[in-house]
Amino acid sequence: MADLRRFLIRRFITFIPTLIGATLLVYFVAAIVPGNPARLWAGGEKASAEVVQRIIEEYKLNEPWYIQYYYFMKMVLTGKAISPVTHTNVWAEVLDRFKTVTLPLTLLSFIFIIVIGIPLGIISAIKKDTVIDMILRIFALTGISMPIFWLAYLLIAALTGRGLVTLAGFPMPDYSITGIPLIDGLLKGDFEYLSQLLKRLWLPSLLLSYAGIGVLVRLVRNSFLDAYSSDFVDFMIARGFPRRRMYIHVLRNALAPIVTVLGLQFGGLLAGAVITETIFGLPGMGSYMIRAINNFDYLSLMAGVLYVAIIFMIVNLIVDILYAVIDPRVRY
Amino acid sequence: MGANRCRDPIIVVEDLYINFYTYAGIVKAIDGVSFCIERGETYCLVGETGCGKSVTSRALTRLILPPGKIERGRILYYPEPGKVVDIMKLSEEELRMIRGDEITYIFQDPGTALDPLYTIGYQISETMLVHGYINRIKEGISKAIQLLKETLIPDSEQRAKSYPHELSGGMKQRAVIATSLANRPKLIIADEPTTALDATVQAQIMELLRNLKKQRGLTILLITHNMGLVAEMCDRVGVMYAGQLVEEAPTEELFQNPLHPYTRALLRAVPNPLKKIEKLESIPGTVPNLIYPPPGCRFHPRCAHVMDTCRRQKPMFIRVGDKHYVSCWLYSRR
Repeated sequence: MADLRRFLIRRFITFIPTLIGATLLVYFVAAIVPGNPARLWAGGEKASAEVVQRIIEEYKLNEPWYIQYYYFMKMVLTGKAISPVTHTNVWAEVLDRFKTVTLPLTLLSFIFIIVIGIPLGIISAIKKDTVIDMILRIFALTGISMPIFWLAYLLIAALTGRGLVTLAGFPMPDYSITGIPLIDGLLKGDFEYLSQLLKRLWLPSLLLSYAGIGVLVRLVRNSFLDAYSSDFVDFMIARGFPRRRMYIHVLRNALAPIVTVLGLQFGGLLAGAVITETIFGLPGMGSYMIRAINNFDYLSLMAGVLYVAIIFMIVNLIVDILYAVIDPRVRY
Repeated sequence: MGANRCRDPIIVVEDLYINFYTYAGIVKAIDGVSFCIERGETYCLVGETGCGKSVTSRALTRLILPPGKIERGRILYYPEPGKVVDIMKLSEEELRMIRGDEITYIFQDPGTALDPLYTIGYQISETMLVHGYINRIKEGISKAIQLLKETLIPDSEQRAKSYPHELSGGMKQRAVIATSLANRPKLIIADEPTTALDATVQAQIMELLRNLKKQRGLTILLITHNMGLVAEMCDRVGVMYAGQLVEEAPTEELFQNPLHPYTRALLRAVPNPLKKIEKLESIPGTVPNLIYPPPGCRFHPRCAHVMDTCRRQKPMFIRVGDKHYVSCWLYSRR
């Protein structure tokens, strides 16, 4: 246990340079894009020179980019950052979008990836080189290579008429316990609200997860087969183990790369849902950050990147801890 | 033919043929092997790598995985004198119940035979669980500890809680032996059990097997290419070459009076520690490609006594003395 604590402390310390690196990189790319943020924030072409000048001074837009970075980060980290575009506190909107849309969308997609990807991968491995395996591999390859918008519009066209999907608005409960609608609904046992939420989110989640499912099916298949060819499986057959018992051993041995990729995919879902959010009109983190980039809204961008990066790092920390749970040979 | 050679057999193999269907072609790995193992004896199969010893031993419980296939042959298992089970006619489930219960295996490399993610105790206990001797893993742990004691693992309570990587190679092989004793073994098939271990540990493991055999009245099929082990452990020896049994004799008889040219060459290749060795003997030529095995006697391309018949016809496995059989034209003519 002492080892675990030391490991956690060490990892938390590495969070800091990682966060600086991530935000610095994003800021640098956003800042070198040519444009005139001050004019844009002041209202575009018709903005008066006076207002533009004031904004330039207020946000230190004359300074070199690293001074700006420091200044913006300070504002974001102290929680005082007000977006010059939306004139609201950046954290308020990040948290709001995260809690209402991105969290349920990500979780649902993640659940889809796990409950669809892992079993299909195992079936594909067990039925190796049969018709079933071939169909599953085609399904997986389709997921990896199919453009999401094309499939999305196809399914929307097929399903909206039947009342299986809702596309407009976003259902909100009329109560608030934790501020996260999904969890509030669960806590209250409000199934009517949950079904509304599900109706709104199942299709975008499924589409968002399809690429991840494709990757996972292939990965699970390969690492399962890899583990299955180990000598200990041979010895289990020689000891008269029934198939199902062997598969449990094999799966656990195949789990390390699967967990790694799942952790990475979680990060991709958090911030990479831009296309899905746009198609389905969902106000999530992806569209938030795209809007921030388009408007040179550095403060919102920094806040969004920071938030996503922190969650991503925590998820990967959990993955690292899981390694040791899966494999007793792993030591911190 | 095979059955006639034993008075109280535990296993009888008759005319076994096994092929492997590889991309390069059909490997005729086992070509008409017949032998039997007497209840309570230690029978050895010797031969160089790739001669089919392991495949033969695995075939005893039809443990041949694709692309391998048992083409034909009879495998009879006698759990008790007079009671016979036809292995070739059993269903997968019936075979499963025999494997790891009455007929158990010890494989070459203990380092990879155990699942690295589970404790030794768990894996021994699980072996009992899958055969229905216990209902939950926990029930088997105390038996597992007792088995670890029986296989002379010091501090067995602790070792039961250890993972395979926390044990040395010799300890791991002892743990593997413990799993093979977990149920009601009658026949233990030890497939080069000490090849992966160093020499001192080798002797300890062999001593352990010999004692267990005595205490529990086991029958052992030992597969090895180590002639020293054969001399030390075995009652009878079968010499295999390129998928065929070429000679079979009681151990002493084989060492004193080897008949088949291959057996002779094999024994000459063993260095004698008492003599100064100028040059280590080797058998000229290489092991034949079993996709296109040589016609007739498979040893003829490397044989010093090769005759015309050898190239054309496969020699019969004939009796040349008390319990001494050989498959060679040199002895068929008389």
